[in-house]
Amino acid sequence: MQVLLVDDEPLARDELRALLAAHPDVSIAAEAGNAIEGMQLINRLNPDVIFLDIQMPKISGLELVSMFDPEHVPHIVFVTAFDEHAIRAFDAHAFDYLLKPVEPARLARTLARLRRSLPAGAPDYQPLINLQPLQQLPCHGHNRIVLLPLAEVESVIARLSGIYLVDRDGQEHFTELTLKTLEERTPLLRCHRQHLVHPQAIAEIRLNDSGGADLITRHGRSVPVSRRFLKSLKDALGV
Amino acid sequence: MAQQLALVFQLLQQTCIFLVIAWILAKTPLFTPLMQVTIRLPHKLTCYVVFSGFCVLGTLLGLHVGEAIANIRAIGAVLGGLLGGPSVGLAVGLTGGLHRYGMGGPTDIACMVSTVTEGLLGGLVHRLLIRRGRVDLLFQPMLVGLVTLAAEIVQMLIILALTTPYATAFAVVNTVALPMLTANSIGSAMFMRLLLDRRAMLEKYSNAFSARALRIAARTDGVLRGGLSAASAQKVATIIAEETGVGAVAITDRERLLAFTGTGADHHLPGTPIVSTHTLEAIRDNRVVYADGNEVAYTCSIHPECRLGSTLVIPLQDADGQVIGTIKLYEPKGRLFARVNRTLGEGIANLLARQILTGRLESQRSLLSQTEIKLLHAQVNPHFLFNALNTINAVIRIDPDRARTLVQHLSTFFRKNLKRPEEEVTLAEEIEHVNAYLQIELARFGERLKVEIDLPYIYAQARLPAFSLQPLVENAIKHGTAHLLGPGHIRLFAEPGKNEHTLLVHVEDNAGLYPLARQAGAGLGMTLVDKRLKARFGERFGLAVDALAERYTRITLTLPLNEESPDASAAG
Repeated sequence: MQVLLVDDEPLARDELRALLAAHPDVSIAAEAGNAIEGMQLINRLNPDVIFLDIQMPKISGLELVSMFDPEHVPHIVFVTAFDEHAIRAFDAHAFDYLLKPVEPARLARTLARLRRSLPAGAPDYQPLINLQPLQQLPCHGHNRIVLLPLAEVESVIARLSGIYLVDRDGQEHFTELTLKTLEERTPLLRCHRQHLVHPQAIAEIRLNDSGGADLITRHGRSVPVSRRFLKSLKDALGV
Repeated sequence: MAQQLALVFQLLQQTCIFLVIAWILAKTPLFTPLMQVTIRLPHKLTCYVVFSGFCVLGTLLGLHVGEAIANIRAIGAVLGGLLGGPSVGLAVGLTGGLHRYGMGGPTDIACMVSTVTEGLLGGLVHRLLIRRGRVDLLFQPMLVGLVTLAAEIVQMLIILALTTPYATAFAVVNTVALPMLTANSIGSAMFMRLLLDRRAMLEKYSNAFSARALRIAARTDGVLRGGLSAASAQKVATIIAEETGVGAVAITDRERLLAFTGTGADHHLPGTPIVSTHTLEAIRDNRVVYADGNEVAYTCSIHPECRLGSTLVIPLQDADGQVIGTIKLYEPKGRLFARVNRTLGEGIANLLARQILTGRLESQRSLLSQTEIKLLHAQVNPHFLFNALNTINAVIRIDPDRARTLVQHLSTFFRKNLKRPEEEVTLAEEIEHVNAYLQIELARFGERLKVEIDLPYIYAQARLPAFSLQPLVENAIKHGTAHLLGPGHIRLFAEPGKNEHTLLVHVEDNAGLYPLARQAGAGLGMTLVDKRLKARFGERFGLAVDALAERYTRITLTLPLNEESPDASAAG
């Protein structure tokens, strides 16, 4: 099985790597030092299993779960030293987790279970997503990462080069999150094949001749609505 | 009959002299115990002495009528008995009676016996009224007059019974009965009236005084708990001025005028340094300075036209007798400085000093308990311990020797944690604590954390309370660099302060998350460090924060630099 290690402490990754080396069927596809790197690698490598640390800078392991592309959710093994709150949630929903320092025997049991359940696909992590809904969206600025609060996003635009969040000032921010993730995990509404809009940012809907419409946001920017999405948008807005 | 009437008036005149003497004596403390019914021996003794004196005086002031004396001895005996009880009455009666007996005459024995009887009668009425719970009646002049009248009638009967021959007895009684019955009854009633007036006056005076003092105490309560500041001082000064009615009130600390209210407020400006020699003297010698404007000259040291003409400066004392400031009361020229205001002023100063002290003790106590709580957290912080153990666990596999070193550091860290928070340590010792902590964190974060320590050796002996620096470094990591995706950078460095003999120690991180960190609870720890430094070294010292969001947070400790330690000039 292809696994990805996500932990901000290099020694913790060393330790886990050493322990996994005892299992020849496990191959470590990559390692990430934070959740954002982790998200990039998951989107790129599509691993079977991720070993996910909970305490990490900026975006915790739990927050990362709500950023997965719903179409490519890997199996997750949470790794934590002391997060009581999360452990209660894992126990409640029978999600697998390891306590640091990791016991080799416990790891072996976890891997055995994974081998059995891999073909069935990943469990539904919705309870964890409810526990930690997506509130801030990671964006890549000029060689640094910005967390944009959801309330500041007016619309989302998909270009060939990737997904961009448009904030109140009209500034565009590149993000690793997929349109599908944003549509399913946030209140943002699909209004076009390439566009999402924040319902609270809509100031006006102007219908046009082609059966579609143009949305005018509170800060005066225009977002197109295609004929295909006009009805669902109107339903969602209750107009 | 005419002779008898003349005698009445003469004896009443004598009674007046008697009462004048009583009135003068009533001004002395000698009379204070007589104003209430008492069972205590010293008071009874005073009662005996005073009324025996009056008993003898009553005989001496008496008028010689033939061989008899028309006297007012009964006043002392009856009052002694009424106020002091049977024993005092008996003693007074015996003393007065023996004195009368010593003067001889045909009625000497009868007079002696009757005086004792009168004292006893007073005493019996005293006991009777006490038993009935009617102490108030004892002080009724009317009752006193009636008891004395009864006593005099008994005396007349005793004279008639004991004096021989009967003719002499009858002659004496016939002459003196009317004057003595009248004079003694009126005299004793008046005597009691005089005591009552005196008591009422004293009570009124002390009532007004205590009422005023209590009102000031109630109104100023709590105002100075937070210490002596311009705002609190102004509040207190206003209250004192309103309650005492003096011309002006000022409050100073050791250097400056903090508050002023009343006449002359236009040029006595709060915030200006003290210039009055009286105030400086009061602070220097720790004593009350009173410049009444006559014996001790007083002129305002700020403005020649100032209308203030006298001042009373009272030092405000700390627990250990140190002067922390003064309270000044002023009266304008041409107004007398009431003595009651002097006493009151000193009382107020005492009261306020106590308030400041209480405030300080309270804040110290809460500071201590906060420190203890915080420390408890530090000692059993499981997260740090978990992280440290996991780190060491991982290192053991890679580099067992390094793991051993880390265990040493962990041990050092916990040993240092056992220090008590009120202990004072050197900067070098505190850095040891910081270093033990940092070694664990450095291993844990690896490439993600860089630490730079630049503390010149000359500052090694600077002193600070234990646990001042380590929590700041911990905050810089926990609430700072740990939240960075990129490499974290901590800098620990020192430099001489702007003021002489001060040292600045900076803890800087490159996260710049100070506002977030404060919400996350780093604020309490820093406030605590600040308060402890200020409590120990004074207001000039403490903790300051400089932060630029997303760029850096720099926490600066200002510490005193010991003069004996290798001098700071070498570095600066």
